[in-house]
Amino acid sequence: MSIVKEKASSMWFTQSLRLLHHELRRGELTIIFIAIMLAVATVFSLTGFSGQIKYAIVANSTNTIGADRVLRMSSEVDTSIIEKSQTLALQYARKIETESMAFAGDNMLLSELDAVSDTYPLRGELRIKTSLTQIASVVANAPKLGTVWVEPSVLSRLNVNIGEVIEIGVAQLIIAGIVTDIPDRSYRAFIAGPTVILNIADMPKTELIQPGSRITYKYLFAGETQAIESFEKWIKPQINESQRWYDAKAAQNRLSRILDTAEKFLSLASMLGIVLAAVAVAVASRRYGQRHQPNVSIFKALGASISHVRKLYCLHWTLLSCLSIAAGLVVGYGLMLLGANAIASYLSLADAPLTFVPFLTAIFTGLLCAIAFAIHPIMTLVKSSPLNVIRGFSQEKVARFGWYQLPPLLALFLLLLVFSQDLVMSAALLFGGVVVSFILLLFGRGLMSAGRSVGTKAGKSWHLALANLKRRASENSVQLVSFTIAIMLLLLITVMKSSILLEWEQQFPDDTPNHYLINITQDQIQPLKTFVEEKNIANQGFYHIYRGRLSAINGVKTVDKDDDSQVKNVEKTDDTEKQQAKKTKQQETRQGMGRELGLTWRTELPDENEIIAGQWWQVSDETPQVSIESNIAERLAVKLGDELTFTLGSDEFTVPVTSIRQVNWQSRQLNFIMVFNQSVLEQFPTTSISAWSISDDNRDMVYRFLANFPTITVMDFAAIMAQLNGIIEQVTVAIQLILILVVLAGSLVLIAQVQASMEERERELAILRTLGAKGSLLRNSVLYEFVALGAIAGLMASVGMEIAVYILQSQVFNMSGSFHFQYWLVGIGAGAFFVGLIGMLSCWRLLKLSSVTLIRRTM
Amino acid sequence: MQVEDKTLVLLQPLNLTVAAGESIAIVGSSGSGKTTLLSILAGLDLPSSGQVYLKNQPLHQFNEEQRSQVRAQHVGFIFQQFLLINSLTALENVMLPAELANMPDAQARGEALLAQVGLADRMEHYPSQLSGGEQQRVAIARAFIAKPDILFADEPTGNLDSKTGQHIIDLIFDLNVKEGTTLVLVTHDAKLAARCQRQVEMDSGALTEPLIETALANTDENQADSQTTSHDDLESKTSVSQVG
Repeated sequence: MSIVKEKASSMWFTQSLRLLHHELRRGELTIIFIAIMLAVATVFSLTGFSGQIKYAIVANSTNTIGADRVLRMSSEVDTSIIEKSQTLALQYARKIETESMAFAGDNMLLSELDAVSDTYPLRGELRIKTSLTQIASVVANAPKLGTVWVEPSVLSRLNVNIGEVIEIGVAQLIIAGIVTDIPDRSYRAFIAGPTVILNIADMPKTELIQPGSRITYKYLFAGETQAIESFEKWIKPQINESQRWYDAKAAQNRLSRILDTAEKFLSLASMLGIVLAAVAVAVASRRYGQRHQPNVSIFKALGASISHVRKLYCLHWTLLSCLSIAAGLVVGYGLMLLGANAIASYLSLADAPLTFVPFLTAIFTGLLCAIAFAIHPIMTLVKSSPLNVIRGFSQEKVARFGWYQLPPLLALFLLLLVFSQDLVMSAALLFGGVVVSFILLLFGRGLMSAGRSVGTKAGKSWHLALANLKRRASENSVQLVSFTIAIMLLLLITVMKSSILLEWEQQFPDDTPNHYLINITQDQIQPLKTFVEEKNIANQGFYHIYRGRLSAINGVKTVDKDDDSQVKNVEKTDDTEKQQAKKTKQQETRQGMGRELGLTWRTELPDENEIIAGQWWQVSDETPQVSIESNIAERLAVKLGDELTFTLGSDEFTVPVTSIRQVNWQSRQLNFIMVFNQSVLEQFPTTSISAWSISDDNRDMVYRFLANFPTITVMDFAAIMAQLNGIIEQVTVAIQLILILVVLAGSLVLIAQVQASMEERERELAILRTLGAKGSLLRNSVLYEFVALGAIAGLMASVGMEIAVYILQSQVFNMSGSFHFQYWLVGIGAGAFFVGLIGMLSCWRLLKLSSVTLIRRTM
Repeated sequence: MQVEDKTLVLLQPLNLTVAAGESIAIVGSSGSGKTTLLSILAGLDLPSSGQVYLKNQPLHQFNEEQRSQVRAQHVGFIFQQFLLINSLTALENVMLPAELANMPDAQARGEALLAQVGLADRMEHYPSQLSGGEQQRVAIARAFIAKPDILFADEPTGNLDSKTGQHIIDLIFDLNVKEGTTLVLVTHDAKLAARCQRQVEMDSGALTEPLIETALANTDENQADSQTTSHDDLESKTSVSQVG
């Protein structure tokens, strides 16, 4: 008796396993399995991936500055500041940063030079290896006098080894080791070359520090929080406009911000993927419930109790969910590796640790989806009446709104919250998503209805297809919205990428300068001029350059809005400056430039410049005056005749604005915001700058010549452009990877929906067959229904893309807005093809059925 | 039954008793109410008023859970639509009722029954791999596996051609005799009905008079397997006689 009892108690268990085993094998649970798997995989790969990106960004640059606070300036610090720091018992280190050529025999290399004091670094670790075979690096401070540490690529590119000599400026230094970690390294992409670290006491030997040189002096401070804070309080009022005082948080540089933006975009796109995967789970679990209804009714008719059925299906669902989640973790891990691989050449994620966070987040997602989206269908399923075996299995109509919508919405919100860890953004996304979906829905319904009236005039198959589309409008709207969004994002990325790259390329004619020469001393100008004339190298002449700040307008001191804006402005491109000029023109009337400017004097109006107000001065005119760039003038609300005060080092002078120039910033000309007449700046020490167009053929010859002038900094614009293009390319790949997931999730929603409508479709086809409809008519009507659905999604996506591109082009990238009708065709065509294909594939089995089978199955 | 503002009468007051071991056919045209009667007799549905006893158990007082238990212990079904579970094999479908009734030898019984209905070599096939006749034979095996006291068959040949139908009928009656089961058969096929010991006819929700008299005459109150006194007319309060 007890054996029987035991057997009975476990019978639901056996039956549940049996059902699961058969259904999995027969592919009946594939959709729901993939839906949960996709949700888990998306979350896992994206959490892992973005986590690793974040880690890499942090590890590579931002949050370590080698100290608690850094004072950065273009000249040496006043000794009183150092003395004050010492009275507060702060630790202190010095660092000088510049760019210079490094030579070894006939080889040369543009390198980033870091001269550090013996106490460097104060926070974080500088790690080096003293031989190539050494496995573990050791912690170090500054190299010994007469020696340098270099990054590994210096050895290969100069073809030297540890122990050999390289030349920096005019100094000869021995390579004593390889640098593996620099605690305050700025992000690598825009830096001239690999780093060479030398002792700050060796710096004078190089003779690189000359008047007007581009040298950055950093003073690093660290100590007790309280001491640091009181030091900060004391020093902040003294910081002038050519200096920067920052902590780790403010140190983020431009590329890390680009990556940060990309990462945010990735998060947004992936949230879309997650939402779609969740919708797929919701649709599939409803389908799961409906599909199992007859089974439950049969079980009950044969005498199974409710608790038996409940236990059976709870186990069934739990096991199914667990399997899907496990598969999702595996797939997600693969996707994460794929994503990391895609951007590997720009961002090494190899060292980034894989934490438990993505695992836990993904498992949580899977469980949440499995519970929240399935609770209502499973409860309905368990309640299925045994009477259905007699009465037939009509699909129970569910109320349009009801409590059962609450768990999925809550789950969605929770998912977004867990993923973004941003309450406002999650709420905004959910709300925005509902609103956008609603708008798309309205449009979609409108288009589907319009299609219906067109259909009545079209052929029989179209007529039938569009009638079906309209009839199933509410079921179709989910996939309509998801496909619209997915197609729109794909179009957006494609259009933006190609239009940005195209616009850049179009702007640069072949003789555009591709090298900037900076830090040219006055006595170097003549030999350089002779050289470019002899070798016939296209160039833009030599400009004197002075570094100074705009300190007052009409006697009113300029202020920067906050310290942060100062940081941002330094990094802004000229393009965005123009943009910002527009945005801020009204409210910031006495807003300063927020950064040091490159000032110059000219006798003639430069090329690509046009006077739009006032007049350019006569060569002989010695009255001090300045010409200002038009966008900046607008932004600072500067008019002709306004008096501008500038600070150059410790000197200050005031000049009137006599002209306003429009400058073509898109040209790679050497452009200046403030141009003075000669008399104003002549008296100040200066270096010069030039832009050359160096072809690949004579690059070596030019480099060799320039090696005679070790203090001149050469910036290869082509290399920087190539790097930039590369980054855009990589980021695009990563985003496309996410969008593929989004499209997959959308397809799954479509397949799940088609599956859910399968019985209904079967019945319709059977009736039509019975009434004598030809196979081709039925096939075409099914095909056209999906094609029309895809085309509508494509059309709406194209309109959405056009609006988004216009906003981006005009508001963010400051390009002229343009239409992209060719992409409309792509969008509509791709939508029609893809949705048509998926729809046909999911209905294929149904369409292959012979009339007899079809009728027998449904009658 | 209330449909919008109209009251629909599905079954007129009726009184039917079926004796143990008896085979009875409920005949009638489509919509006459014979399937409704069957679902009430089998405890799948409840009458809005009246009483139903199955093996002396008052089904009309039972909730769904209790009725499930009664079905598991005493009832077998054969449906017009076969109603097999598509994702289970033939054998597993057959084993279901035995498993639900906690029979330890479900598999052996299932195999034996499938062999009896001529499907020994199709045990591992899924319903979709079987013809209509084969599916109904699986359903018959399933109906008999738990040795039910009463077998309810709803148009068991409705979906089959006449030759296959004949074969199925033979099977049902053979097993019925062999197992000593009470058989309640709903059909509109007069030939099939004729093979039952007794026939009653449904017409517009009412059992025709002469047949009811026959039924009453045949009633043996102690051996009654199933009896129903049903009154679905909400408008009248006519009391219904009760047997048992």
